[in-house]
Amino acid sequence: MKKILIGIIVVLLLAGCSGGEQVQSKPQDQGYVFNYNGIPIVVNTDVEPVLKELGEPLDYFEAESCAFQGLDKTYYYSGFELTTYPKDNTDYISSVYFMDDSVSTAEGIYIGSSVDDVLEAYGEDYTGGENAYIYTKGDSSLIIITENDEVISITYQALVEGLN
Amino acid sequence: MKKILINITCIVLAVLFLAFLQKLFMPKYMSSIYEGNLIEEYYDSDKDHDVIFIGDCEVFSNVSPIVLWEKYGITSYIRGSAQQLVWQSYYLFEETLKYEKPDVVVFNVLAMKYNEPQKEAYNRLTLDGMKLSKSKIDAIRASMLEEESLITYLFPILRYHSRWSELTWEDFRYLFNKRKVSHNGYLMRSDTKPVTVVPEGRKLPDYSFGENAWYYLDKMTKLARENGIELMLIKSPSIYPYWYEEWDEQIAQYAKENDLLYVNFLPLADQMNIDYSKDTYDGGLHMNLAGAEKFTAYLGKILKENYNLEDRRGDTKLAAVWQDKVEFYEWMKQDQAMEMEKYGYLKSYGAAAQAIIN
Repeated sequence: MKKILIGIIVVLLLAGCSGGEQVQSKPQDQGYVFNYNGIPIVVNTDVEPVLKELGEPLDYFEAESCAFQGLDKTYYYSGFELTTYPKDNTDYISSVYFMDDSVSTAEGIYIGSSVDDVLEAYGEDYTGGENAYIYTKGDSSLIIITENDEVISITYQALVEGLN
Repeated sequence: MKKILINITCIVLAVLFLAFLQKLFMPKYMSSIYEGNLIEEYYDSDKDHDVIFIGDCEVFSNVSPIVLWEKYGITSYIRGSAQQLVWQSYYLFEETLKYEKPDVVVFNVLAMKYNEPQKEAYNRLTLDGMKLSKSKIDAIRASMLEEESLITYLFPILRYHSRWSELTWEDFRYLFNKRKVSHNGYLMRSDTKPVTVVPEGRKLPDYSFGENAWYYLDKMTKLARENGIELMLIKSPSIYPYWYEEWDEQIAQYAKENDLLYVNFLPLADQMNIDYSKDTYDGGLHMNLAGAEKFTAYLGKILKENYNLEDRRGDTKLAAVWQDKVEFYEWMKQDQAMEMEKYGYLKSYGAAAQAIIN
């Protein structure tokens, strides 16, 4: 009887193990890379070395993270903004958002490019509704929004639970 | 016979032991992440409320039921929780009806932006505090991420047993008796962090709210109608996360079609006398005490004018109940003022809209 009871307790305690570990997201494959003046910027990677290379931002905003413990941070640079999410005392890049046509993707797409340019650069394997072209690679997505056949928004986005 | 009795005793003891361990291992949220207590605290309230608020941090940080009572004689409770999703709000509304029937339910619409479950840690902050009921089980089913399982919500020891090595004095101190942290669901923060920069809304691939979000808002509307309850929709005056005009139009249209009152308080900041350089504690996400009191005073007027709510301050029995609440509120105000003076920040009130469960 004792053995049965001990067995039940052990099984019950162990049964939850697999579920619990899912809360922490795991390192994932590298996705799209944004190059700014030769500095590679990849979502879901540590922001610190990137910030060192980018230098002082034009502006900065921070807010308590809704999805993680710590602060969500937004750094404003010329032509784009870069956001981070905290995890295990490190800030990881959550997104890069183009603010004007002074920056372009590694594949040459910028705000003002045509839909044909987008399809030529990234192909037909996309999701998204009308006027949206969402390409997924590894743990990132490249979200391109168009209006009147012209790109009006480009975002590199990390694919992380609770972030999107 | 003797053997049977011994076996039964052993089983009962084992169950009691597991129940004890479960209670011990569950996070207490007494020194941080106070919002983890909000859902549970409702069950100890008097459950005689004219107005029930449901929604995310934009209700539990921005609305003060004490102001509604003191200024208008309206009794209210906030059944809010961190990143409360629309289906969770619906099931909390449904569950509340088992305890009481308010005149008005106020739902904050920011959560409409989410069409699917987001994160287990937030699910836990809402669902773990609910008492076992069909509403809770339905809420869990609607909220679970793919890798989650219902049984870990029904028997949280299966989720939290790994905390055994991280137990602190808090886990033992508040094992059977937690102190109250909210004022009828309102989490007070009197410190200030002004709005400086606010990120502009990024262009979205699609501004339409998702089917699932609409489905539960519809259910909420029907539930209110079936029970003779007025449903009011609000967008609280928090300026971040960004509230898109396209979203606002959809809610306004829905409210019109369903004969509901919808008020977006963002453009009314001046009328409410809200100063974002003084009235927020985290740069515009949440109102601080001053901001919450201003917003609530304005909201109370709208509630009073539109729903003909009775001023109940003349009810001596009720007034006595609320006097205790007012005293607790005033005590916390003083305590926070003292902490600000002593430490320069709210050392014991570091409630943050965030959570990671170990």
